[in-house]
Amino acid sequence: MSSPADLVLRERVPETWFVEVVRTWAFARRNVIMARRNVFFVFELAFWPGVAMLSHGLLTRFLALDAKMTAFILIGTVALSTVQVCQLDVAYAVLFDIWSKSMKHQFLTPIGIRHMAVGSWLVGVARGVTVFALMAVIGSWAFGFDFVGGGPGSLALFLLGCCLCSLIIGLFVCSLVLLFGTRAETSAWAAVNFTVMFSGIYYPVSVLPGWAQVVAAGIPLTYFLDACRQGYGFEAQFTHAWLKGFALTGLYVVLAHWALASAITRSRGTGLLLKLSE
Amino acid sequence: MPAWYDCRRMLAVDAKDLTKTFRSGWFGRRRKEALRGASLQVPSGTIFGLLGPNGAGKTTLLSILATLLLPDSGSATILGHDVVREAGAIRRRLNMASGNGSFVWSLRPGEVLSFYGGLYGLSGRRLRMKVDQLIEQCELGPYAKTEYNALSTGLKQRLAMAKALLNDPEVLFLDEPTLGLDPDVSIRLRAQIALLRRERGTTIILTTHYMREAEELCDEIAFIKAGRILAQGTADELKRQIRIGDVISLRLDPAAPRGLGDLPGILQLQARGEHIDCTVDAVDKRLPEILRWLYEQGVLVRDCQVHEPELEEVFVELAR
Ligand SMILES: Nc1ncnc2c1ncn2[C@@H]1O[C@H](COP(=O)(O)OP(=O)(O)OP(=O)(O)O)[C@@H](O)[C@H]1O
Ligand SMILES: [Mg+2]
Repeated sequence: MSSPADLVLRERVPETWFVEVVRTWAFARRNVIMARRNVFFVFELAFWPGVAMLSHGLLTRFLALDAKMTAFILIGTVALSTVQVCQLDVAYAVLFDIWSKSMKHQFLTPIGIRHMAVGSWLVGVARGVTVFALMAVIGSWAFGFDFVGGGPGSLALFLLGCCLCSLIIGLFVCSLVLLFGTRAETSAWAAVNFTVMFSGIYYPVSVLPGWAQVVAAGIPLTYFLDACRQGYGFEAQFTHAWLKGFALTGLYVVLAHWALASAITRSRGTGLLLKLSE
Repeated sequence: MPAWYDCRRMLAVDAKDLTKTFRSGWFGRRRKEALRGASLQVPSGTIFGLLGPNGAGKTTLLSILATLLLPDSGSATILGHDVVREAGAIRRRLNMASGNGSFVWSLRPGEVLSFYGGLYGLSGRRLRMKVDQLIEQCELGPYAKTEYNALSTGLKQRLAMAKALLNDPEVLFLDEPTLGLDPDVSIRLRAQIALLRRERGTTIILTTHYMREAEELCDEIAFIKAGRILAQGTADELKRQIRIGDVISLRLDPAAPRGLGDLPGILQLQARGEHIDCTVDAVDKRLPEILRWLYEQGVLVRDCQVHEPELEEVFVELAR
């Protein structure tokens, strides 16, 4: 038997790779619109990275560091700012919905984690690269820091590495927020800064105590910083640093995806997903 | 009722013994049983009303069926797909709007629709056409440049409705769709709901606290209380099933004769302005008896009307 429901032509979109792109792009577009509407956008993008670059640059002046040492410190400054800006965009995929209590709409649609993650990450990459460029200009103008000192290839890999680390961090932040609700927001970011501390951001990991070095070896950013600094003539702390960094990144991306998927399933079980929508 | 009503046999929604307990507090020590074995069958193409007191579990039940919440036990299928194992297939064909829904604060109506349209896989010209069509249909055109936060309650609700139609849902859940709307907007929304079913055969489940709305729109109604479905049927069936009796409304002189309530078959007496409402078990039998008694007592009958109980009264009876 057929009812009018079957007779009415309901054109369903077939599931093709193009639809994958469309869904991903929807998240990217939303982040762009939200950024445009945010009056603090330029402030967020330029102010803190600018302040970080100037203050750290001045510090290197005060300590009378040579060009090589200055590069060591400023690479850390750039990495931290890029990662922080980029991961924020990834977290926005979930945070916008949490802040506006519209969580359930998104999970009513047939999307996957990959769409929200990649879509918002792409905007994060654009922001991260902008921040990097801004810092490069300030750094080279004020402190004569040569950002392509390690070669363009090394620079590109370094930026890619930083952005992928942001993807991982952003996904973990999303998972924590979906598991524990809005009260997890601040602690999630605290955790980011805590892990970054282990990756030898302004110092070689060799100065860390033994147990902390073990932790550092498990963080991809450690390898990216090391590999990038090798380009400036610093002694390698790790062999095959790029390779290890990206391999570890791949592993963490899979883990973060799994963590977010589990967090979503769990919050569907506990009802938090609904609580976040009312 | 439309002519095709009887030819539908497929169940759009088939839920069996659903249970859900929410846990909160340390180690989940505080427990709230929201559903305790709720079963529900909704035929394809019907408008189905889910009524019940606050906290009865209506939203919980709809959320489970909409794949937003996992049941503790029991099973449910939507259009033949299991709500736990085949959530993706269901999400393509189902949508939901609620009276207290909300969207990202600084997006404009068109942007909200484009975003969710994108998530449903719409793009390019097709997306634009769909968004334009829904904006027109839900009369959001003049507010194209207004950000979500600046929209009034009625407009927000209309946007929620437009969003819920983005994927041409075959099954549509409306959780208190007319909550906080003025009568004019409510009437138009109800007309839109009726039209959806008539033109597209959409199966609609709606929850509401307005009995008039349920009676006007719904082919079938289920009463839920404390997580269980207590009764299900058409409004008339429910009135008969619950048997709260018919009401004889009398205007008398003197207004309230002593001993009227003691007559056999009178279940309840209630003063309403100048009238007295007598709820009786069987009007055919009791009306002559009452009139005879009044005559014998020398009471003057100035007005006498008989009417069926309102759905509201059935509701109050069930919710007790
Ligand atoms: N996410 C949640 N976490 C914890 N408890 C919940 C959650 N959602 C609902 N409850 C509880 O479950 C019970 C049923 O709630 P539900 O929202 O389903 O009722 P309802 O019938 O929709 O009520 P109303 O008419 O007020 O909307 C309530 O006691 C409520 O407090
Ligand atoms: Mg409710």
